[in-house]
Amino acid sequence: MGPLIPNGVIPIEWDNIIAILIGIVFGFVLEASGFSSSRKLAGVFYGYDFAVLKVFFTAALVAVIGVYYMDYLGYLDINQLYVHPLYLWGAIIGGVIMGVGFVAGGFCPGTSLCAVAIGKIDAIVYVGGIMVGIFIFSELYPLFQPIYEGYFYGNVTLEDSLGINPYWFVFIFSIIAIVAFVISDMVRKKTKKIFY
Amino acid sequence: MVKKKIAKVLAFRYKILATILVLLAGGLVLLPKYQRHEGIKPEELLSNTISPERYITTDQLAHKIINQDPSFILIDVRDEKSFASYTLPNAINIPLPKLFEEDSDSYLNQNQYDVVLFSNDNFNADQAWILCNRLGYKNMRVLKGGINQWFTTIINPLKPAENMPAADFELYATRKAAGMFFGVVYPDQVKVEAPEKTKEAPKKVITIEKKKKAAAEGGC
Repeated sequence: MGPLIPNGVIPIEWDNIIAILIGIVFGFVLEASGFSSSRKLAGVFYGYDFAVLKVFFTAALVAVIGVYYMDYLGYLDINQLYVHPLYLWGAIIGGVIMGVGFVAGGFCPGTSLCAVAIGKIDAIVYVGGIMVGIFIFSELYPLFQPIYEGYFYGNVTLEDSLGINPYWFVFIFSIIAIVAFVISDMVRKKTKKIFY
Repeated sequence: MVKKKIAKVLAFRYKILATILVLLAGGLVLLPKYQRHEGIKPEELLSNTISPERYITTDQLAHKIINQDPSFILIDVRDEKSFASYTLPNAINIPLPKLFEEDSDSYLNQNQYDVVLFSNDNFNADQAWILCNRLGYKNMRVLKGGINQWFTTIINPLKPAENMPAADFELYATRKAAGMFFGVVYPDQVKVEAPEKTKEAPKKVITIEKKKKAAAEGGC
């Protein structure tokens, strides 16, 4: 049956409309759960708030368990799902830059737009920085191109590259997540409480 | 009282959620694995199998070929040797063991043409039909009776006895005509033109009278 759009259950023309609706709901939930505050986001790095870690880890976990159950029951064909292509060094360098930007600015790109929507000045500056970065990248594209397009490994998953059983991986991943939650809670209790 | 009980349970809410997650993930590991079948559902296959649309008769096929119907392709599932010795016009040879090789995929798995499978009888063609149909290939047909039936109906139709209905005679005439299209020659259709005897015209003797040299007249 699924995925719905590639199998024609939902016509492909609805693609963008559904994307906009999901985007609105995502933005609303981000803002409602306080993710438009840079202090809350940066809390992960200073040890006083692990909401970001918990939320995104749980989201990934629930999604992966749900997808595999739906695949097992025949509602969803896991082989038809989109797998993001891997450009190894592009991903590593990009990840480092994004991480530094995250600590320094206190936002990730999604939450920064969310914070712009509620009128935070630091977020507006941050988004301006993103635009400058995009401009510099575009201007120097010939310089970055070999890294950007090189080291291409195809649309691989951990299942392909490590050859592990996906079911066992999900199980181990969920245990790692829960251990991480417990440890993060212990760390949070030890650090000084910060009112923000 | 109730609130207190709920509060007591809710104090453990994160632990409960964590155990639910681990249980669900563990369930994935422990679930019995099964081989997922490819292609269409068994019920669909069954309904396709008992559908009369599955077969095409030799008469229909002959009609299509004679009218140069472009909407179908003929596929011979016999081996190469039989294919080389006799086959239907414009047929493509895909022997049954080679049915799922890459080259044959473009003929079988498409949605533009009707695919008519045939073999000597319809037995091998039926096997090919079932295999292709299960994979969800569209517009598959089988020539009912195969080449044997083709031979007994189109190439060498049985002459109806005198006490048979008129429809049979009409069918016989149609089949005969179709057979003639495919190169069969009937004795009654052949007009052997008797060579006309041409009388040899007697040679005319043309006598050419030699002009007598005129005697020189006069003189200088």
